[in-house]
Amino acid sequence: MERELVVSGVGGQGIQLLAKTLALAATREGRYAMLAADYGGEMRGGPSKAAVVVGDAPLQALPILPSAWSAIFAHHRFAEGVQDRLRPGGIVVANTPLVDPSGFRPDLRVFAVDAMTAAKAVEAPQASGFVLLGAYNALTRMVEPAALVAAMEELLPPYRRQHAESNARAIAAGAATVEVSA
Amino acid sequence: MSLELLDGGAAMAEAAIAAGCRFFTGYPMSPFTGLLEEMSRRLPAAGGVCLNAESEIEGVNMTLGAAAAGARAATGSCGQGIALMQEAIAEAALNETPFVVFNLARNQQDYFQATRGGGWGDYRTITLAPKDVPEAVEHTQLLFHLADKHRAPVMLYGDPLLAQTRVGVDVQPRDFGPLPAKDWVLDGTGGGTGRSRQIWTWAMGKANDPGPGPDGHWRAIADKFDRIAAEEQRHEESMVDDAETVVVAFGTAAKFVEHVVAGLRAEGHRIGWFRPVTLWPFPGAALRRATTGARNVLVFELNAGQMLDDVRIHAADRDAVRFVGGVSIAESGLSYGPLLDAPAIRERILGGAT
Amino acid sequence: MIIDTSGPPVLPAKQVADFKPSLLLGEHSLCPGCGEPVALRILLEVLQELDIVQRTIGVVGHGCYGSFVRIMDVDVLQCLHGRAPACATGIKRVRPGVAVFTLQGDGDMANEGLQEVLHAAARGENITCVMLNNGVFGDTGGQQTATTVLGQRTKTSIDGRDPELHGYPIPVADLVASLRGSAYVARGAVSTAAGVLQAKRMLRKAFQTQLDGAGFSLVEILTMCPTGWFVPTAEGPTYQQGTMEQTYGIGELVTR
Repeated sequence: MERELVVSGVGGQGIQLLAKTLALAATREGRYAMLAADYGGEMRGGPSKAAVVVGDAPLQALPILPSAWSAIFAHHRFAEGVQDRLRPGGIVVANTPLVDPSGFRPDLRVFAVDAMTAAKAVEAPQASGFVLLGAYNALTRMVEPAALVAAMEELLPPYRRQHAESNARAIAAGAATVEVSA
Repeated sequence: MSLELLDGGAAMAEAAIAAGCRFFTGYPMSPFTGLLEEMSRRLPAAGGVCLNAESEIEGVNMTLGAAAAGARAATGSCGQGIALMQEAIAEAALNETPFVVFNLARNQQDYFQATRGGGWGDYRTITLAPKDVPEAVEHTQLLFHLADKHRAPVMLYGDPLLAQTRVGVDVQPRDFGPLPAKDWVLDGTGGGTGRSRQIWTWAMGKANDPGPGPDGHWRAIADKFDRIAAEEQRHEESMVDDAETVVVAFGTAAKFVEHVVAGLRAEGHRIGWFRPVTLWPFPGAALRRATTGARNVLVFELNAGQMLDDVRIHAADRDAVRFVGGVSIAESGLSYGPLLDAPAIRERILGGAT
Repeated sequence: MIIDTSGPPVLPAKQVADFKPSLLLGEHSLCPGCGEPVALRILLEVLQELDIVQRTIGVVGHGCYGSFVRIMDVDVLQCLHGRAPACATGIKRVRPGVAVFTLQGDGDMANEGLQEVLHAAARGENITCVMLNNGVFGDTGGQQTATTVLGQRTKTSIDGRDPELHGYPIPVADLVASLRGSAYVARGAVSTAAGVLQAKRMLRKAFQTQLDGAGFSLVEILTMCPTGWFVPTAEGPTYQQGTMEQTYGIGELVTR
């Protein structure tokens, strides 16, 4: 079975990094992953979208997904059309207060996560993206939590090594958010 | 098996090195740049050389030189850069120097450029169009084999989705069978022996051992490309036997078409798809068989209608051929616009079938 | 001539030991009075004297000298117009132990392929480029090139090269000499016997530079083209001395 995640937000929110972290974690678990990015030309401020697909066999998924099983909405901007592609019963992580969790189709399972507050609470203000990822993975068990942390560390460039611990705290904080609310 | 999460550029780089590529040149141009960076990073460790050429013209000629000296060599670019390389690609076809050109284009508007070429003389370019990254890994290795097998420059035609999508792949060296000895290579040892070697598009030979000259040589080249055209056609097809509608597409667009057509078939439509894997030689006989009896032969490509010409030439009934693709470019100009999307393609196919 | 080693020797041993086969496989087919065959002869002699005949690859461009490909007993790639330094780069990078040279004319190097030679020089590519400069497109019947000297009549500057109309000639060796990657750059002329010997010494130094791995080397050789200059054959050398050799200084520009 192939499971799809669409991540949508604004450049600078760490959209591409969280998607890449999930795809790498699945790959390190020996599963098939695909990561398709669409972030326009700008590094910051423009639309940033990514799609991750994970499966146990060679993937059939298209690099532009016609439909998806789940989504993370990091920002209300540039999110048009994304929820239209979610299948009924799809899982949504909504980054409050930037995203209004009441604005989704009733057939979706929406989980509100105040990522910035949670990130600041664990002194990881740069890592709100990882809070969203931690929450998402706790809900979906896409990969083992330890694999997620290992993939995050593997992707850190040498000049960002100092963020490894705070990023890990952010992932754990994200998971705690939904474990409490769910 | 060990999967690595690689974007298409990195996957092709790894596959090229696995195939024995030891010389690579390129000039940065999106979406080819990633492949160049990966080769620059990986090739020295494999004992090879990667040069960021000062221009596409110099890059392709460096590659021609390295190939003439016996190395498995490659270069690449996109669109405008490939246009600059056409002079040397034609030259290499006519002086029989084998190398691989990675044409990682921004869309499908360079089908004519890839399959017809813009160089001089009677030549053709074997062109493979992989539909996704795993297939690009296979095609990359196959292309080095085909280049050496036929002593000709060959091309991989891809796009931004192929170059930039990351996929878990396991790159293993592939064996495509024995190859003729490279007894034509310039190694520098021929001097003063009376048997020195020569690579020359005119094939005049040496004074003590005249060659066939341009007439004989270019006839032989034409015969060779006729043989390649017969031997190297590759295609895939599905659900065409009872199909009223056959949709023809290549490369990434074909992957989308396969998905959409499978959905329509599941809904009860008598529809199938056909994908040329080699754009040249175009799998014409197979297309004729696949479209026999079809009322609609729909061509979907992201351009103004280029492969359409080849489909019209080969379809069982050319009056059944209709174009359902179109130009669709992202605002950046660097990738596809909204037409490369399953719902949009479904609409085009339903609108095109009668 | 090739020494037959398939049977007992028919020549005295010393004669065999001293024998160096000519690298010329036949007569050249260029015009009487042409300077290019002279340049070819000294180039081939240098390869023999340095004993690198069997580890040399030549890359030959397009011009009258292109026909030398048929009479040079050397491994040769005949390449596209102007692209020889790029092809030579590819060859040298995959066969670093081989001496790689280009043979190009002024039309080939200064017109079509100026960026190729400048980039190869700037890269310090360890190859030797030889430019035969006669200031005219000889092969196509005498048109103006980028090195045609001011006042020179050609079929496309019929009243003489006029800077107002046609701009100024390009001193290739001087341009190349200004680049850091150049290890040996010289300009010679084959209009006199002494000039021939000097040009040969320059070629020898250029190849030695390459064999030493010191970097890029270039020898520009001014060669007579009485046909293209519309002067009597016998007047070619003196005409060259009075025109091209006044514009382009003879001598070594870079030695390292």
